[in-house]
Amino acid sequence: MVDRAATPKAQDKLGFLLALVPYLIDQVRVTVDEAANHFGTTPEHMRTAVMLIAMSGTPGADGTYTHETLFDIDWDDFDERDIIRFRAAPMDDKPRLSAREAAALLAGLQRVAALPDFAARVDIVELMAKLARGTTGAPAPVAVRAGAVAAVHATLVEAVATGQRVRIDYVTTRGERDVRDVDPLRLNGVDDSWYLRAWCLTRGAERSFLLDRMASAEILGPADAHESTSLDDVLFTSGSADERVTIALPRVALPLIADYQGPDDDVTIKGDTAIVTLRVAHTGILGRIAARLAGEVEVIEPPTARAAVASWAQAALAPARAAAGPESPSG
Amino acid sequence: MGRRVPVEERLFSLVLALLATEHGLTKADILSTVTGYAARYAAMSDRANLERQFERDKEELRELGVPLETIDAVGSEGDTKLQRYRIPPDRYQLPDDITFSAEEYAMLTLAAQVWREGSLSTDSRRALTKLQSLGMRIDDTVIGFAPSIRTRDAAYEPLTTAIDRSHQVVFPYLKPGKAVAESRTVSPLALVFHEGRWHLHAHDDGVSATRTFLLRRIVGQVLVTGAPATVVPTPDESQRVLDELNALWLATVATVRTEPGTEADVVLRNRPGTEENEGGLHVHTTDLDILADELSAFGADIRVLAPEALRSAVRERWQTVAKTHG
Repeated sequence: MVDRAATPKAQDKLGFLLALVPYLIDQVRVTVDEAANHFGTTPEHMRTAVMLIAMSGTPGADGTYTHETLFDIDWDDFDERDIIRFRAAPMDDKPRLSAREAAALLAGLQRVAALPDFAARVDIVELMAKLARGTTGAPAPVAVRAGAVAAVHATLVEAVATGQRVRIDYVTTRGERDVRDVDPLRLNGVDDSWYLRAWCLTRGAERSFLLDRMASAEILGPADAHESTSLDDVLFTSGSADERVTIALPRVALPLIADYQGPDDDVTIKGDTAIVTLRVAHTGILGRIAARLAGEVEVIEPPTARAAVASWAQAALAPARAAAGPESPSG
Repeated sequence: MGRRVPVEERLFSLVLALLATEHGLTKADILSTVTGYAARYAAMSDRANLERQFERDKEELRELGVPLETIDAVGSEGDTKLQRYRIPPDRYQLPDDITFSAEEYAMLTLAAQVWREGSLSTDSRRALTKLQSLGMRIDDTVIGFAPSIRTRDAAYEPLTTAIDRSHQVVFPYLKPGKAVAESRTVSPLALVFHEGRWHLHAHDDGVSATRTFLLRRIVGQVLVTGAPATVVPTPDESQRVLDELNALWLATVATVRTEPGTEADVVLRNRPGTEENEGGLHVHTTDLDILADELSAFGADIRVLAPEALRSAVRERWQTVAKTHG
């Protein structure tokens, strides 16, 4: 029988063992519970790992494993008192990070470092240099631009931290301007966008608000306490009132509309063309999808949606067509 | 003899054996003595399988950042039977002077939380596990919500692996405004997240020049051909690419007018870097084609004043939409 190649899970387990050994040696004497807690694992898992280590070692000069070359654990302490104490260890080195492990932390730091609340507390440049030095070879080439934040970000951070009610001037996806009073629950950053999850007093429900869509945010005073009802940070949830619209696009362009697709939206492939049924909250958003992928997306039905897209585009073209001298940048 | 040795025990024993040896062990030494190989080696029957297993295990160790050294026998360079393997302790071990304060460790924990999925999440979790060997305690006063970055593009994982192994890749790329994807053969150099999008910086082996690709526009499978990369990343590759993108972003400015109070108006004013004067809103970008996509989505609420190329690109998009749906 052929053993399968080690799965990522085996790599995880090996990484854990390589980190655990020097930790246990450094601690000299540590309870199973404490060690499990330190590594965020269960006491059972810790016991299994310790037993595996205790049976391991290095082949001696003659190529056999003997007591001199094995890890030597105090079994009485371990079995009777749940205490881990090694009396001898053929290895106690702390492992370096792999190129990819270092890169993941470094790129994450680039993003976190930009947040005003953290930047002041730690010398990021020094921390990044240390990580790079602790890597086998060079960290993998991954980089992340420091995230910029909208002007309202600081106000909202303060509101969340101190439990203040906020009045936001917000523009909805339908393009409607709305002033709402909300009790903030938390801020979520996803890619380059920030969302405020808040109890909306206007709607009497929990809602997410994109910071990019806020013209202003103003602290009003202490907020009421609300139990957050949902952990999911989905901004657009499709409801039964949504309209179903069928669009066609080149099959290869499918990934480009992933942001607009819901998990239940039908996709049919016909040759090089993909036919997708989307649920949209309002037809106004269709012009936006069509323009972003101009020439690639066509709204097929219903006819009202087609007509809405056509008039949306005509309206966009109208001022330029009607433009006389004053509107023209050159004139 | 019959005990089945778990994969992690075999790999752990391999690390221990190779760390302990000063002059290195030959493949035969390893297979005949190390736990997880030895019993099967004695069985003779599946030696070829066992050797393949060893090759895969070496790759696993390398991917985990374990520095595996191969020493050729003098006068028999390249003879795999005589080659010796070892893990030099000084290259394996975290330098002694690397320690982290409780605050630094808390920052690293937040940094790891930026990734919630895929290999970046796995890699950062593994990194934290390794750093836990230092026995640090976390500073609980540094709390907060780490912003997350998604790696939803299907191309991300195979490109990471290809970079890690210095392999060339082939993928179908859909250029803006094209309905047909073209096949590109490239040596991947860096993955950079900028303006909310993942970019691949690569040496395009088809045209022998470096190019930047949007992962979102890699519209099919990324194939690893098995051919080695023609160019490999320099140590500062990703930072240099990031700096270049930032410089390009600073230098590329569009001037627009928005209907006051509309979504376009609010969103573009909130866009990082936007400035306003009597001439209009000045919006930064790295790529006018992408900006044209974004701006055209605002429809009648926006007018593009400059540059002219952007102005006509946005108009063309609207005309196409009108024609397609007329």
